[in-house]
Amino acid sequence: MTTEALYLQQLINGLSLGAMYALLALGFTLVYGILELINFAHFNVFMVSSFVAMWALELLGLQGQNTVLTGFALVGALVFAFVVTMTVAGCLGVAIERLALRPMRAVRGTAAMITTIGVSYILFNTILLTAGADSKNVPNPMPDIRWAIGDATLRLREVLIWAISLALMVGLHLFVTRTRLGKAMRATAQDAEAARMMGIDVDRVIITAFFLGSALAGAAALIFGLYYNYTSFIIGYSAGLRAFTAAVLGGIGSVAGAMLGGVLIGLIEAFGGQIVSVRWTDVIIFSILVLVLVFVPTGLLGRSAPSKS
Amino acid sequence: MPELLAFRAVDTYYGDLHVLKAVDYRIDQGEIVCLLGGNASGKSTTMKAIMGVVNPERGDILFEGKSLRGVSVAERVRRGIAPVLEARRLFPRMTVYENLEMGAYIHPRSADFDSDLGRVFTLFPRVKERLKQLAGTLSGGEQQMVAIGRALMARPKLLCMDEPSMGLSPLFVEQVFDIIQTINGQGTTIFMVEQNANMALSIAHRAYVLQTGQVVLSGPAAELRENEMIRQAYLGQMKVA
Amino acid sequence: MPNPDTSAQPSRNMMGASYAWLRRASPVQRIPHYWRQPLGLIATTAAALLFPIISGNDANIDSAANALAFAALALGLNIVVGFAGLLDLGYAAFFAIGAYTYGALASFQLEPAWSGFWEPFQWLDLVARVHEPSGDTVHFQVSFWLALPISAVTAALFGVLFGAPTLRLKGDYLAIVTLGFGEIVPIVARNWQGLTNGAMGLNGVAAPQLFGWSFGVRAWPYYYVGVALVALLILVSTRLKVSRIGRAWMAIREDEIAASAMGINLVRLKLLAFATGAAFAGATGTYFVAKLQTATPEMFMFPVSVMILVMIVFGGIGSVWGVVAGALILQILQSWFLEDLSQWLHALGRLVNVEWLQQVELSSWIEMIFGVILVAMMLYRRQGLIPATRAVQALSLAEQTAQLGVNTGTGGIERLHNLGDFTYRGDAPLLEVKGLTVRFGGLVALREIDLTVPARSIVAVIGPNGSGKSTLFNAVTGLVRQQSGIIRFAGEDIERAPPHAVLAHGMARTFQNIRLFPNLTVLENVLVGMHARLHTGAVGALLHLPRTQREEAAARERALEILAVFGNRLIPRVDHTVASLSYANRRRVEIARALASEPKLLLLDEPTAGMNPAETLELAGQIKSLHELGLSIVLIEHKLDVVVSLADNVVVLDHGEMIAEGPPDVVRRDEEVIRAYLGRSASLGGVAVA
Repeated sequence: MTTEALYLQQLINGLSLGAMYALLALGFTLVYGILELINFAHFNVFMVSSFVAMWALELLGLQGQNTVLTGFALVGALVFAFVVTMTVAGCLGVAIERLALRPMRAVRGTAAMITTIGVSYILFNTILLTAGADSKNVPNPMPDIRWAIGDATLRLREVLIWAISLALMVGLHLFVTRTRLGKAMRATAQDAEAARMMGIDVDRVIITAFFLGSALAGAAALIFGLYYNYTSFIIGYSAGLRAFTAAVLGGIGSVAGAMLGGVLIGLIEAFGGQIVSVRWTDVIIFSILVLVLVFVPTGLLGRSAPSKS
Repeated sequence: MPELLAFRAVDTYYGDLHVLKAVDYRIDQGEIVCLLGGNASGKSTTMKAIMGVVNPERGDILFEGKSLRGVSVAERVRRGIAPVLEARRLFPRMTVYENLEMGAYIHPRSADFDSDLGRVFTLFPRVKERLKQLAGTLSGGEQQMVAIGRALMARPKLLCMDEPSMGLSPLFVEQVFDIIQTINGQGTTIFMVEQNANMALSIAHRAYVLQTGQVVLSGPAAELRENEMIRQAYLGQMKVA
Repeated sequence: MPNPDTSAQPSRNMMGASYAWLRRASPVQRIPHYWRQPLGLIATTAAALLFPIISGNDANIDSAANALAFAALALGLNIVVGFAGLLDLGYAAFFAIGAYTYGALASFQLEPAWSGFWEPFQWLDLVARVHEPSGDTVHFQVSFWLALPISAVTAALFGVLFGAPTLRLKGDYLAIVTLGFGEIVPIVARNWQGLTNGAMGLNGVAAPQLFGWSFGVRAWPYYYVGVALVALLILVSTRLKVSRIGRAWMAIREDEIAASAMGINLVRLKLLAFATGAAFAGATGTYFVAKLQTATPEMFMFPVSVMILVMIVFGGIGSVWGVVAGALILQILQSWFLEDLSQWLHALGRLVNVEWLQQVELSSWIEMIFGVILVAMMLYRRQGLIPATRAVQALSLAEQTAQLGVNTGTGGIERLHNLGDFTYRGDAPLLEVKGLTVRFGGLVALREIDLTVPARSIVAVIGPNGSGKSTLFNAVTGLVRQQSGIIRFAGEDIERAPPHAVLAHGMARTFQNIRLFPNLTVLENVLVGMHARLHTGAVGALLHLPRTQREEAAARERALEILAVFGNRLIPRVDHTVASLSYANRRRVEIARALASEPKLLLLDEPTAGMNPAETLELAGQIKSLHELGLSIVLIEHKLDVVVSLADNVVVLDHGEMIAEGPPDVVRRDEEVIRAYLGRSASLGGVAVA
């Protein structure tokens, strides 16, 4: 392969990773925008969802890489898997909010964040203790259709991932700008007390944010499974931290920022692995996280510096 | 006039801090009632208690004769109480139109939305010109108009205003107080916390004076303006003068 | 209303109430209180020393030694998180740095070629010359005892290096940055094969020796080193906690802005906390590696940081004995109890013939258990097993009415001799502000303000809410930086000075919405106010020299005297947390805290807000007395009678502009003032202005 082709290939890979990180980053941003809470449980909501996605695909009788679907069967299977995974993930997020985080809402400081670390641990170990430590094969029903672009290859799964991610993000954008509940969500994020005084049910808004954020993590988890064809109890941590970095890079609390940050982190991961070395990718990404927080805490599209004490 | 809002021996606490101490208020339909008091006297807590953000430890708050105990903020707005918050508190990154929409949040898909909007435009023609602008970019005076307009979109029976004159230029303060009188003339009862005692007493029917969480004085506004203690404490007139 | 930031009390109090039954007389409480502490200490020490002899089981002693390492780590993290309130999620990184420091200093990992450079080190016995066919190499053989302080210092240096740019981030953002750092260090360790041997683990780490006798693989010598280490760190923690340094850390934890306004250099104190915590972890790392005689990057990953965090949350954030107990209990649970419990479950499984019960390995459940403990503690007992803040006993009627030789009026202050020197004796005006303009975004909060405060004067600033009065205080004291113009204090330019430096110059302030340190006592709050006037540093606090003790005793004495300015309002409550005080008493404590810094100029932001007329009168009298002692005062006040009775000069602000200035009587007649401040009808004659 020529260097140009290699870069083109990494661009394709980076965009796919970026789409996944962006979806995951939206969950951090939605919750942070309203509660100013960094939700560590989100890492493992993503991981648990990847298992849900696997089980949903297996429920359709798909096993490993053997069953390939086309046409309506493929569309139906994907729609089914997305709906099931996103619903279960969303409900998981709502349950976490109700059981563990709502009682912490009046407590100032970092207590709520520490709680989310505990929740994350519980989710992590629930999967480890029930499903085991070995990585699992996620069924992939997509036919192996490829297009050659020069020496680089574009696969059907990548096109599908882009399309689905784009559709979900456009949907989210329409939700927060056009619907009554979506506008209430923005109002709550900008001034929760004033929103409450308008008669907006802030509890409902928060639940909605957790549901949507977690459902998007569910979508990201299914995409992860379809892209890498495996899952394991450890995937939450590194994917979650990358997505969190993406949210911070774009400006946490900003929906557009999460999308932009996600794509950038995806590209950085792909090209960083290509140019430097895969073993240093994590160091590069964490360094970006630290540098952005220290020097540009508002992120690229953020509006105000993080100031919660 | 029938009673609209009443505090019956209300005590509130903030942590260990006893804020309101056995406070009684009575606001009748159609009145403008003003609440005077220094900073930290319990004025804002009164507003929070009406909206249900702070709940009485003892005593009861009645609206239209029914207790508000355990009634959610949203339900209070639905029953007809709307606040104009201190320092206006618009949603800065939403447009003026969206802010007004949020004011009408409790009337989803209401057929009256347009007529409510029309009423706001009649009161504040400037608001109509700014509909598409982000609220955070408006001047202080324009923000106060939108804040009052936003509260009116809820079609309140009782408008609770926390320091409507704060941070406004003197000319604009007069406009705001004129508009408060107009709104009252259209049938909305007004309960107002105000530090600009002279101005407030000039349009109010009655007033209460709050001091370290207790009502120390109440009566018709005209009488209070002649009261020696009020003149000293709030109207800037010393015995020495 | 108090700012919600200053007090998050409701939940804590509810918590206290539901555990009230714990406070009923237990057998322990029948021991006189002055015996409890020494008795407990003796019993703990005896138990720690006798344990290996009683136990006799090498495996148990070994797990106990491991548990001690975690207790040491918990103590270090407690300094950072518990004392200074800086959530560090990558604490294990410093543990790693300490571990690899010893790895580099006392193993076969690094073997550079021999050269003359190494000869002095050979002479000091730090390195040895190894003869090899391919040429001589250097073997590092630094003694374990020397390596302990070296790795502590190395880790502390990394703490400073990493902390300097990041510690100005607040709360959860700092947590994320530390998490990133905590991730980077093990990755570097894994990839830097030369130093660490990567995932394979360090090679040939030397065992500690004492007078030529090697510890080898016996458990008990390590155990006693661990006991000594933990005992030392407990001593360091407790001494720091009650010192000037510890109080400054807790002030930062409670309210950064107030801490900085009271003279605490935030960056320096935060770095000190970070470095101290890192040093604890560094020394522990060396101990742990010497004991295991190897180290792999996995020993320092995120789960380890979280485990230490769970330990301090479980034991009680900020409580020294609590975090030690938390660490020991959780480690012992992990290494002994879960094993035994698994055995019992297997037996039970065989008995009732249930297959999975026979398979259960509870030791793999440990992280799950940690997660559950973390969530459960946060939800139901946030103060931990042994809470750091003591319960406040209610004041008896006798105590409330006790007279302490000073009455509540104004007559007593002259009799107090130890208040400090408030008199400014220089020639330049005390405070001089010229052309001060402050902008927030597009909004001009203050425009071209000129203000002069002559020595020994009282200047009042009046104006409607939102007219810029508090912004003026914030700009003058360095809390707001978006400014232009000149601010001179006692002839020196201070417009670029940070808040703690402004205080050091001799200007102290109170806040409109009261910013005390809610979980510190009245006395501690006042002592924090003295921060800039005391000298004890971390080293002094540790050594507890006579000089330090004298300074501390004098400080406490002076604090009591300052509190006595308010008669018996505060004296009976010196050991109460300020969260339990009334509004008026909080205002008094805030003034006392400001006085403690021995200011020449005191800025009071609505000192009588929330006070009734009698209390207002009392405070006005006390302010007057302080003024007579030489103190100059700038006063924001709404109550005009207070202004008239106190002020020499009045400045009127409206919309960020100064619209009038002059003696109270003149200002009160100014047309523009009447219009802006007193309202329309006053100027229209609705109320006659006499």
